[in-house]
Amino acid sequence: MTEEMERDENVFLMGEEVAEYNGAYKVSEGMLDRFGPKRVIDTPISEAGFAGLGIGAATVGLRPIIEFMSWSFTLVCLDQIVNNAANIRYMSGGQFKVPITFRGGNGIAHQLGATHSHRVETIYTRIPGLTVVTPSTPYEAKGLLKTSIRSDDPVIFLENEKMLNDAGDVPEEDYTIPIGVANIERPGNDITIISYGRPLQRVVRHAVQALVNDHGIDVELIDVRTLRPLDKNTLIESVKKTNRCVIVDEDYGYCGMGAGILHQIQKPCFDYLDAPIEYVHSDEIPVPFNHFLEEAMMPSVDRIVAAARDVCYR
Amino acid sequence: MSVANHVDHAPVVSESKGQAERDRLRMMMLIRRFEERTYQEYTKPGQKIGGFCHLYSGQEAVAVGIASIFQKGKDYLINAYRCHGHSLALGMDPRAAMAELFGKATGCSKGKGGSMHFFQAEVGNLGGHGIVGGHIPLGLGTAFAQMYKKTGGVTFCLFGDGAINQGTFNEALNMASLYKVPAIFIVENNGVAMGTQVARASAEPELAKRASGYHMPYRAIDGNDIDTVIAEMNEAAQRGRRGEGPTFLVANTYRFRGHSMSDAMKYRSKEEMEQAKLRDPISLYEIRLREKGLLTDEQADAMEEEVAEVVADAVRQADVDPHPMLEDRFNDVLAEQYPLQK
Ligand SMILES: Cc1ncc(C[n+]2csc(CCOP(=O)(O)OP(=O)(O)O)c2C)c(N)n1
Ligand SMILES: [Mg+2]
Repeated sequence: MTEEMERDENVFLMGEEVAEYNGAYKVSEGMLDRFGPKRVIDTPISEAGFAGLGIGAATVGLRPIIEFMSWSFTLVCLDQIVNNAANIRYMSGGQFKVPITFRGGNGIAHQLGATHSHRVETIYTRIPGLTVVTPSTPYEAKGLLKTSIRSDDPVIFLENEKMLNDAGDVPEEDYTIPIGVANIERPGNDITIISYGRPLQRVVRHAVQALVNDHGIDVELIDVRTLRPLDKNTLIESVKKTNRCVIVDEDYGYCGMGAGILHQIQKPCFDYLDAPIEYVHSDEIPVPFNHFLEEAMMPSVDRIVAAARDVCYR
Repeated sequence: MSVANHVDHAPVVSESKGQAERDRLRMMMLIRRFEERTYQEYTKPGQKIGGFCHLYSGQEAVAVGIASIFQKGKDYLINAYRCHGHSLALGMDPRAAMAELFGKATGCSKGKGGSMHFFQAEVGNLGGHGIVGGHIPLGLGTAFAQMYKKTGGVTFCLFGDGAINQGTFNEALNMASLYKVPAIFIVENNGVAMGTQVARASAEPELAKRASGYHMPYRAIDGNDIDTVIAEMNEAAQRGRRGEGPTFLVANTYRFRGHSMSDAMKYRSKEEMEQAKLRDPISLYEIRLREKGLLTDEQADAMEEEVAEVVADAVRQADVDPHPMLEDRFNDVLAEQYPLQK
């Protein structure tokens, strides 16, 4: 964010506690000192107000970064994002663009309970006019965020509280990662596993390790990176090669993110599939507070390994 | 009249006189002790309490003041996530409260809600709610139901100074006044929303005036003085019960702890904190009761000891209580039984 704000003076950061408090999760630490209160701006707890402010400002030339303390809180400003950000360009016949980045923590963190653990990906991914990006490593976070801020369209940037402290190689220099391109994180021949964001980091990579090392299954692991627009081709080509596929997310299965992805690949791959595509997702319940119940509702390494073995008939 | 005490000048206290006042003081002490013990349990190694946890220390006079006039089984109280104090004040068993923090099956919400979501239906405790401002329309709705059913009950709807800046505040207060529902909207103004001082979030620093556009009585009150709280709440409740509509009260108070457990409170100066401690609602009330001759040193000490033991017992019990069964996670989603799969 700092690099992008230095690069373009139309970029500013706004949200609850982003300035004087240095970010509720310290993401914007030091930015107020660097850029001053004109460009790093604290807001009241008025999500609809500041989401709308950002959208309005974007339509007339600024490039706001709007931080939500949690994506769960955007349910109170859904109207601004879904009705305004996503539609203004279309409704005006292309007269306006809405170059804005909305970012914050998405999904289940730890024991935050039902109202603070929403996985909002399907809510936004199904809306034409929005772009939905979800990094799974610090390297991706930087590259994808830069691309998002430079994008001329509204971007939903999904982070997770439990990924903010991840360490990883992040080049100092300016680099971007393209939106709309999936990443084949590990090439393989036996099965394609598709995931993204927090579940990749929390369980999927561990499950892939187990499948490769303990079960001799040569997994091709794909990090979708962008949920909308979805890089269908990469997914389809992979499944055509491996003939088997498991999709993993932490969403609810019914009308879930993975169900939407599954629909995109099952027809073009139908003649290539050696088994039905499996989808591992969370239980269909509000997120419980109790630690063990919360763990139990989410995909586990065991559930992913079992699903992959099922699909491989071993 | 009783015999004067020559040893010190403390007035002599009769056994039953002042019992109601001492009960209030005890409840404030219980809440304080509960919260401070929660702080210890949360921060000690092997942390048994997880998730967000917002302590009520410093604001006790508001909850206990309301509870003093609350008609159980008739009135409702609905609140934000800083809800331990109100729940205890309305009579929640400290064991059920502590067990909820530990996520145990014996908790007031069976371990499914946690710190932000204490509920107790039978007394009219309609919960702690986690989305800032999200429950203000719910309070409008419960008061609407009371009016609809002519129960004579009122709804105490509490929220923070930060929540005023949500759109729900405008919508709910306008409708409450329009329909004349028996609601009392109470801002517990502790001066900050997380790290944002009122003056940095509200264009109108006098928060009570924020209700000036809704055609309802509004007033700022001393939220650290329990007697004031009781008197003001009583008046507002009477209004509601008479069918005269809602009232807006801003109870000025202070929170002694951080916003939640991870808050280093850099936005507060030592002097400010020390000043605030001078207006600790518990000490203020204790002094008043002594002056009125309603409390002796022995009584105060005995109360401190007793609440400490009650809280210690709650922690011991919560520790050994069972976690919910993993299969329990599928219960309580719907009231109806359909031939559904999980
Ligand atoms: C819609 C929404 N936005 C943001 C948050 C995060 N949040 C939780 S509490 C809080 C501060 C609220 O302050 P206030 O209303 O004054 O209540 P207090 O904590 O002081 O009791 C914030 C920003 C939230 N829970 N819900
Ligand atoms: Mg406050």
